Amino acid sequence: MTMNLLADVVAPAPLVIDGLLVGALLFALGLVGILARRNLIVMFLCAELMLQGISVSLVSWSRHHGDWGGHVLVIFVLTVAACEAAIALVFVLQAFARTGRLDAAAWQSLRESNLPRTIDRELPSIDTVPPKFPKLAPAGVEPPADEDALLEREHV
Amino acid sequence: MIASILPSISPGTLLAGGVTAAAASLWLLLPRGRSAAADRASRWLGGLVGLAALAAFIATGHRLGNLGTEAVFLTVALVAVISGAATVVSRSPVYAAIWFALALAGVAGVLLVLGGQFLGVATIVVYAGAILVMFLFVLMLAQPAGLAPYDRVSNEPLLAAVAGAVLLGVLSLSIGRLTAEPPACCLMPGTKAALLAGSTAAAETPGAATAGVDMLADNHVARLGGELFGRHLLAVEAAGVLLLVALIGSIAIVSRGAADAESVARRAAR
Amino acid sequence: MNDLSPSTLLVLVPLLPLLGAILTVALGRVLGPRAHLPAIAGIAAAFVVAVTLLSGMAREVGAGGTGHDHAAKPVELVTTLWEWAGIGTAAAAGDAARSFSIPVALRLDPLTATLLVIITGVGLLVAIYSIGYMHDDPGYPRFFALVSAFVFSMSMLVAASNFLLVYVFWEAVGACSYLLIGFWFTKPEAAKAAKKAFLVNRIGDFGLAVATFLLWMTYGTLNFHDTTLADGTLVPGILGATRLADAHAYVGGAIGTAICLLFLLAACGKSAQLPLHVWLPDAMEGPTPASSLIHAATMVTAGIYLVARTAPLFEACPGALTLVSIVGATTALVAALIGTVQNDLKRVLAYSTISQLGYMFAALGTGTLLGFTAAIFHLVTHAFFKALLFMGAGSVMHAMGGVIDMRRFGGLRRVMPITAATFLVGALALAGVAPFAGFFSKDEILASLHARGWPDAHGEHHEAAPAGGHAAVAGTFHLVSVTPDAAQLAGGTRGSALDALNTPSTWRLLFWMSLATAALTAFYTFRAVFMTFTGPTRVPEEAGHHAHESPPSMTVPLVILAALSAVSGWWLFSTHALASFLAATPSFTAPAVASTATPPAFHWNLAIQGTLAAALGIVVAALGHLGRRSDGPQMERFLGPLETLFANRFFFDQIYSALIVKPLELVATLAALVDRRLIDGLVNAIAHVPVAVGSVVRHLQSGLVQRYALAGVIGTLLIVLALVARAMG
Repeated sequence: MTMNLLADVVAPAPLVIDGLLVGALLFALGLVGILARRNLIVMFLCAELMLQGISVSLVSWSRHHGDWGGHVLVIFVLTVAACEAAIALVFVLQAFARTGRLDAAAWQSLRESNLPRTIDRELPSIDTVPPKFPKLAPAGVEPPADEDALLEREHV
Repeated sequence: MIASILPSISPGTLLAGGVTAAAASLWLLLPRGRSAAADRASRWLGGLVGLAALAAFIATGHRLGNLGTEAVFLTVALVAVISGAATVVSRSPVYAAIWFALALAGVAGVLLVLGGQFLGVATIVVYAGAILVMFLFVLMLAQPAGLAPYDRVSNEPLLAAVAGAVLLGVLSLSIGRLTAEPPACCLMPGTKAALLAGSTAAAETPGAATAGVDMLADNHVARLGGELFGRHLLAVEAAGVLLLVALIGSIAIVSRGAADAESVARRAAR
Repeated sequence: MNDLSPSTLLVLVPLLPLLGAILTVALGRVLGPRAHLPAIAGIAAAFVVAVTLLSGMAREVGAGGTGHDHAAKPVELVTTLWEWAGIGTAAAAGDAARSFSIPVALRLDPLTATLLVIITGVGLLVAIYSIGYMHDDPGYPRFFALVSAFVFSMSMLVAASNFLLVYVFWEAVGACSYLLIGFWFTKPEAAKAAKKAFLVNRIGDFGLAVATFLLWMTYGTLNFHDTTLADGTLVPGILGATRLADAHAYVGGAIGTAICLLFLLAACGKSAQLPLHVWLPDAMEGPTPASSLIHAATMVTAGIYLVARTAPLFEACPGALTLVSIVGATTALVAALIGTVQNDLKRVLAYSTISQLGYMFAALGTGTLLGFTAAIFHLVTHAFFKALLFMGAGSVMHAMGGVIDMRRFGGLRRVMPITAATFLVGALALAGVAPFAGFFSKDEILASLHARGWPDAHGEHHEAAPAGGHAAVAGTFHLVSVTPDAAQLAGGTRGSALDALNTPSTWRLLFWMSLATAALTAFYTFRAVFMTFTGPTRVPEEAGHHAHESPPSMTVPLVILAALSAVSGWWLFSTHALASFLAATPSFTAPAVASTATPPAFHWNLAIQGTLAAALGIVVAALGHLGRRSDGPQMERFLGPLETLFANRFFFDQIYSALIVKPLELVATLAALVDRRLIDGLVNAIAHVPVAVGSVVRHLQSGLVQRYALAGVIGTLLIVLALVARAMG
């Protein structure tokens, strides 16, 4: 009820306007992300961000008009976003199975037949120089390889 | 408060400046395939410019009147926006997912301040609890070790930043022209909002009998539920069917994909 | 036939050959070797009708007696079929006469009747002849359809009572001529000759068209006959009774001379006079029956008909008349000279035709009734003996397997006696030997020229052709003012510059030229006869088994024509039937023409001069080519450099080629170049623009989805911006 009190004591109109601004900001950020980022997962995250912005705007308008319509719409947005995320991630996994990468630019076969494939330019290396560790002569018997260890990855 | 620091600049200019700064900061922040040092430098610079943009936006915002509410709203709004920006520009997708979780928290806070009690909580539960976890699982399965090359470059960063800035400018412009009129709701006599708005004037407005819903009343969820299953019953049922379809569809695609992969592997083995 | 009115009969004369042509076209393939039947039936029926009309008209002329001034009364019969074109009726007051109306009207008068009989008669004989001649030709039905169509066109031309109709059928006979010359169109020379004939005729047609325009402007109507408008006002035709009765109704001066000269141009084109004669010798590429019909007897006489018909108009411009005679006599002489060195039998006859037509023009140009009558008389007799000669040449060509070069065969009188006999008769007629037809008609022509050259010797008071002395028109007409306005007639008081030619010395020169031409005519005609039919019998190898007399279908027309050539001249002259008959033609009853009438007389001195000239020619020909010398050295040796001039036809073709054909070819090449390089290049360049644009725009389609999304977002933002800008004002 604290929130109630908080919301209660202010005139709704400026709150609505501020809410709309926040919604607009989130939407614009999400749009830039979808257009710019190449990783499929990050693209979908940005799509979800756009939907968050929409939700905030809808609730603001609902507060302004005194109508449940905005809330209801946000509930449906939520539902649809969940379905969309499910299907989309399945597709992402399929795409990864085909190309081995999560890159949106891996799919270029719909280009004009006489255009060459767009290939990234060579990127400067960011790996730090690995520290040079002293090499010791092996002693003893090497233990058998651990299968789980092979499947392990260092970091994501 | 902040407006008093810059009294001479008109809101329009402030907004324009804010939008431009937002575009510039996004461009600086997006991964553009530079060397490590240049990347770090541009990120610092982008961050600073972005903060300036946020300051401009805050300056053009309207005052809420109550300091406590204003502080809370500002906090959650900033959390949401900054986390959102971080989601967009993070090089590592996992970090992006984490930032997205934080953004969700901020959005939930904003929703609560706006009076959407149920929705604020629902956002956390559904998004952060379910959807985000799904994203993380996929990342676990598919993301290569280290930073993939495609995580370090963007597709047309400048054009994207400019497009986003233009959209933001248009939206802010339209929003800024909304007049601060008291809304139809919350003018029922007795509510504090009505008192603040000056209920004497409101009582004479026609259609006061049909004034809107008071979001802030106690049985918010119950009334929302009543509205949902009352006026929007068919839509609810349809949404249920949609969920079912999505469920079946995803399973179907996965199973066919698995079968395809098996046949491909078998053919390759032959 | 008695219940058919003369109007119906008049319409039948062109109609029946037209039906024959249509039936031949429709049924030709079905009828096969009998495809000649519809055409011959049509032409024969038309001939019968034409003879009926002629006899009826002769009776009417005889009964009519003489009118005032002892001139014959005009006899005419007009039939209007329908109105072909009409713009504006007689509603507008004051402008009624300017309403443009072209009725399809036929007019029968003595001149028309005579020509109709000639056209259908000679046409019938030629058609019968063609049964044998074109026997093996794959285009057999097409030939008869064309001959039938030609008879229709020519009949309509001489019967039409409106200048525009005359123009239409003028073109029609030109078209039939083109189709017949180019009958074997797969042969390149034939196709070229047809094209040449048509193009040269076109120049004449242009003259006729412009003359028609001037006639309309000057006289306000194009009809020959008088017509009545709906409100009762009379529109006098150009050659109608109203205008002919008035001595001052025809415009002289510049306009009148222009009209007459344009008519002369048209006549030169159609009748192959200098300088438009170049097409007729080449037209011999067509089948011989076509040459016989068209280029001897009928089509080429269209020019004569035109000048004769428009006699009153010419009488108003004496300079133009003199020019007609000059052109005619010069053409006669030049053509005769060229004909003396030709080795192709048909070419000899072609130049002979040009020469005889020149004679007719020379007679027409005298402007006297005697001259006009002499020209028509010669037209009739020439039709008989020239058609006969052409058909005889065709018979020879048929027997010799297509060879017509006289140097390659000889002594054919033993091989084809009937052809030889009839050919001889025709040659005698052509040379003007008494008592054959050509003698009388040529005598008349020389008499008319002599009368103009030595007016006193004839003792009559010739009212000289009005030398432009017109007074302003007295209001003789109580009708709408379609008369040439006073200004035009006043302009006629000044004579044209050509009037200076109208001196007796000019006429004397023309007389001597004609006499010399008569000698040359006899020479080349008998040269051809001797080379072909006398001497040792030589047959070229192309003849094969063809070298025998022609079948009866070919020889019977020859015999008929030979009989006519022998007898018709004597009969027509002695009875003065033709002269008195033609004097009733409306055009010749105009005061200007009728006042020159002289009592018929036989001019002994001229007859003797003519006969001496002919005898001279025959003797020289015999010296050179008779008997054993028929293939031997020829008279041309004695001509020296003149022989080259004559053999190259006075270089007319070469001059035309250099002056007209080559520059036009150059222009055509330039135009083709511009079309190909510039215009096509421009179009191709325009075609390259989309390709270029496409190759640039293609790069948008990169296959990268995010770029597509970016483009979509930018587009949407632009729309949103536009909407916001509009909303904000």
